[in-house]
Amino acid sequence: MLRKVNGQEVDIRPILIKDCSFPSPFPAGLEFSSPARGTWNIAHQGMLIPEAHEIFVCAASCLRGVVLTAYEMKAEKRFSTVAVEEQNLLEGNMEDLIIDGVSDIIDQLSPKPPCVLVYTSCVHHFCGCDLEMVYRELRSRYPDIDFTDCYMNPIMRKSGRTPDQIMRSRFYSLLKPREILPGSVAFIGNDFSMEKDSTLYKALSLSGKTIFELTECKTYEEYQQMAQAEYYIADYPSAKVAGEDLSERLGGKFLYLPFTFSYDEIRKNVEKLSSVLSIVKPDFEKEVGICEQALQEAYLKIGDTPIAIDYTAFTRPLGLARLLLTHGFQVKRIYVDAFIGEEKDDFDFLSEKYPELEIWPTLSAQMRFAADHEKTDYLCIGQKAAHFNTAPHFVNICENGGFYGYQAITGLCRLMLEAKENEKDIRTLISKKAWRCESCI
Amino acid sequence: MIKIAVYGKGGIGKSTTVSNLAAAFADKGLKVMQIGCDPKADSTFSLHGTKDVKTVLDLIREKKNKFELEEMVHIGYKGVICVEAGGPTPGLGCAGRGIIAALDKLKEKGAYEKYAPDIVLYDVLGDVVCGGFSMPMRGGYSDKIFIITSGENMAIHAAANIAVALENFQGRGYASLGGLILNRRNVKDEEKKVEELCGDIHTGIIGTLSRSETVTDAEDLGKTVIEAFPDSEMAQEYRKLAEDILRTCED
Repeated sequence: MLRKVNGQEVDIRPILIKDCSFPSPFPAGLEFSSPARGTWNIAHQGMLIPEAHEIFVCAASCLRGVVLTAYEMKAEKRFSTVAVEEQNLLEGNMEDLIIDGVSDIIDQLSPKPPCVLVYTSCVHHFCGCDLEMVYRELRSRYPDIDFTDCYMNPIMRKSGRTPDQIMRSRFYSLLKPREILPGSVAFIGNDFSMEKDSTLYKALSLSGKTIFELTECKTYEEYQQMAQAEYYIADYPSAKVAGEDLSERLGGKFLYLPFTFSYDEIRKNVEKLSSVLSIVKPDFEKEVGICEQALQEAYLKIGDTPIAIDYTAFTRPLGLARLLLTHGFQVKRIYVDAFIGEEKDDFDFLSEKYPELEIWPTLSAQMRFAADHEKTDYLCIGQKAAHFNTAPHFVNICENGGFYGYQAITGLCRLMLEAKENEKDIRTLISKKAWRCESCI
Repeated sequence: MIKIAVYGKGGIGKSTTVSNLAAAFADKGLKVMQIGCDPKADSTFSLHGTKDVKTVLDLIREKKNKFELEEMVHIGYKGVICVEAGGPTPGLGCAGRGIIAALDKLKEKGAYEKYAPDIVLYDVLGDVVCGGFSMPMRGGYSDKIFIITSGENMAIHAAANIAVALENFQGRGYASLGGLILNRRNVKDEEKKVEELCGDIHTGIIGTLSRSETVTDAEDLGKTVIEAFPDSEMAQEYRKLAEDILRTCED
């Protein structure tokens, strides 16, 4: 049993939303990393760039997670490591180690990759390694290979740009200027392709716009064609900086159209897109009607089943709770360590109208024991919620899953009904999460 | 923009010299930024006379990233833009890491673009004991390095180490050695010893400063010699050194 130093047992309890502070409801402290990660990690994400080779430079023991990820993805041939040792610190040859290590790996690769992602780590950050010089030298040694800087640096997790923001920005750092294809659009910063019937994708494709998506690229040349986009759209909060960076570098117009479950916000986002780009707009009233019908039908079958949502499933867990609660669903628990600013309105609404809604952390140390119980009948949305509730009825989705707009609501209703009907193997799905594995979410 | 870093053994007179150079440059109508890279955070004191100024590291510790560029600077004599990098918790933190964090933060907040100084002076603590202290040597920070030394053995030893560090960075596009500044302590064979050092590290003496009570008198007033005793011989020596440094940088 986890005990405090004074001998008291750890209390595993949520905070009711009415008692929560915004945006950080829980105090910082000893953290627990749940086996249900949910979102992708930096090794997964880098593999999105076709033909890219990842090289991680860090202490050997820190490589465990990313090595496993590469193998899990069956992408081990696109993954290499350079181990940093204490001797490198003492000799002050950290920069040389990166240059020589990366060179040695590249020299042994056949065929040569068109681009290499070099992941440096916290030790380089502490030492103030001259990474500019490192990349300058690598580019000079291998002029036919594109290099970009990536980071495995937990120290940066809670200060400045987060590793997730940086990584999503680095996705596009290798794009080289090309002639712009008028009216074309690139979706920026998503780990999953937009569903073809999602509101944004549909509006653009019906309007004959060329759509670029990193997730759809099969070759490095296809990836480079993304530079032709005239407009960049991001809907994922962590991808906003990626769009801004790309816009500043390549000059395309960036639109942030955040993922949302609010009918008003969906409409505003579509109108915002339509103000800069001629598109076939959806029939808003009709779309809302379809969503309402889907929600009613889902409620008829799901009824009073308790529902738990976690933040890895959708970027707006509070918005989702609001949508479901106002349609009769019994949302009881939300798992989220901090709220994003975009959810303030939903937070205020829920605090007032549904004050007993439980807010649970996922990172607090006591959550180590939250999953130590029998199966529950919770219907969960997201892997973390499923793990913490030992709930085989769950919607296996993360990072919005390529959903957007009205389609996100109807799509979620469909997945909730499927989850209600069928049990899933939590352990298998949670332990395998990347490409070409059983979950394939 | 001319970017200069001044290194040397602790206590050799770096801050005094750099501040007087800053004042001499400011007198010429140049826009000067002086960045003290010393945990003592007293590099710029004689330019602004304010004790207990907030250092960059103080701000990072207290406010994380929620502070403005203006909070990091103090305007001193004739508009000299003064910055103190500051240091870690004594006995616990890492001073080299502190310099890295402070210089990164200045860059991140756009200090060089916003103030657009004609001259940036880095006053760097002592010997190059770790990577953090070499940060100001990098391309983008400094173009020229000047090392202050006397004829004392420890000062010469430190100067040699700094020169070795610079030599190690050859080929990286870092700053080059501009020369030595002899700050006399009037020890035996002082000039000869420093000239020998120059031979060893392939450089020359760019300027010489006399040992003078005028310097300590100005320090007692909390001012630079240039400000407190502008007509003194010592002020003239600093002005001459400033001219020689400018000429070296322009070459």
